[in-house]
Amino acid sequence: MSEAVLNNIKTRRVVREMTGEPVAREQIEAILEAARWAPSGGNLRPNRYIVIQDAETRRLIRLVSPGMFQEAPVLILICTNWDVAAEHNLPPTDRALLIDVGTAAQTMMLAAHALGLASGPVTSYSKEAVKKILNLPESYSPEMFICIGHRASTAQPGMRAWKKITWRDLTHWERFK
Amino acid sequence: MIDWANCAVKQTELHKAVSRGSTHMSENWVLTEEEAVELLALLITSARIQMEEPANYGPLRLLTATERLSGMIVERASEKSREFLQENVDRIPDMHMRMSDVDAYSAALDERCRAVAACLLRHSSLPEE
Repeated sequence: MSEAVLNNIKTRRVVREMTGEPVAREQIEAILEAARWAPSGGNLRPNRYIVIQDAETRRLIRLVSPGMFQEAPVLILICTNWDVAAEHNLPPTDRALLIDVGTAAQTMMLAAHALGLASGPVTSYSKEAVKKILNLPESYSPEMFICIGHRASTAQPGMRAWKKITWRDLTHWERFK
Repeated sequence: MIDWANCAVKQTELHKAVSRGSTHMSENWVLTEEEAVELLALLITSARIQMEEPANYGPLRLLTATERLSGMIVERASEKSREFLQENVDRIPDMHMRMSDVDAYSAALDERCRAVAACLLRHSSLPEE
């Protein structure tokens, strides 16, 4: 079992070309359920998830998202709900809020991969344009899109690492001397 | 603070200059209003997000816009432009090249610049050679 989890982590890739094949509702819900179990600072759960499947809404979002190369059938927008942050006296600069976005994003992408789906994160978009298109409440800030779909056969491999690295290159044991 | 009023004047002058020089271009419309607005959305949102993204993403956004514009107009363009546009869509260097081999990336963009200059010459009264 643990080997399967590790293998899922190692084989997930960012996918920037997807087919138009729809994603089953149960699969979307499974991904959202996984995100619910992502670590959250203080277990405060300030993230809110907006699921977008409507074709015209997705088209408009893509037009204001220069970093969204995918034409994904499902977009999940991770938002921070500032009402939750304020309720717990978290200042807007508290890094825990963005860390929560990151843990949720990775959890959703791993869940998608485990379900045989492709995924890719997008942060290059106009927040103001997205807020307008989705008519987001004032207290929601759009932090990251996760595109979900089926990998196109024409999809290029993910960006190669700029240089070959292993976990050893990224790790230092104990105190620096 | 951006002086929008001044920008507007400059843009108008630029438009006039472009219009003056366009007498040799085909007058066929190659872009629909919807396509133009889509491109405009890409350019405006790219300008905004570029303020917070790495500087080397700037060329990437411009090239994305170039690719989209080429794709939009290639079927409606005149013969004089089509060859350049078709090549343009296929030959724009990718981001990985930008990060891994800056010299090759610059050379690839230089080649595109020469190609666009040749296209401009074909539309002008000047000899291409």
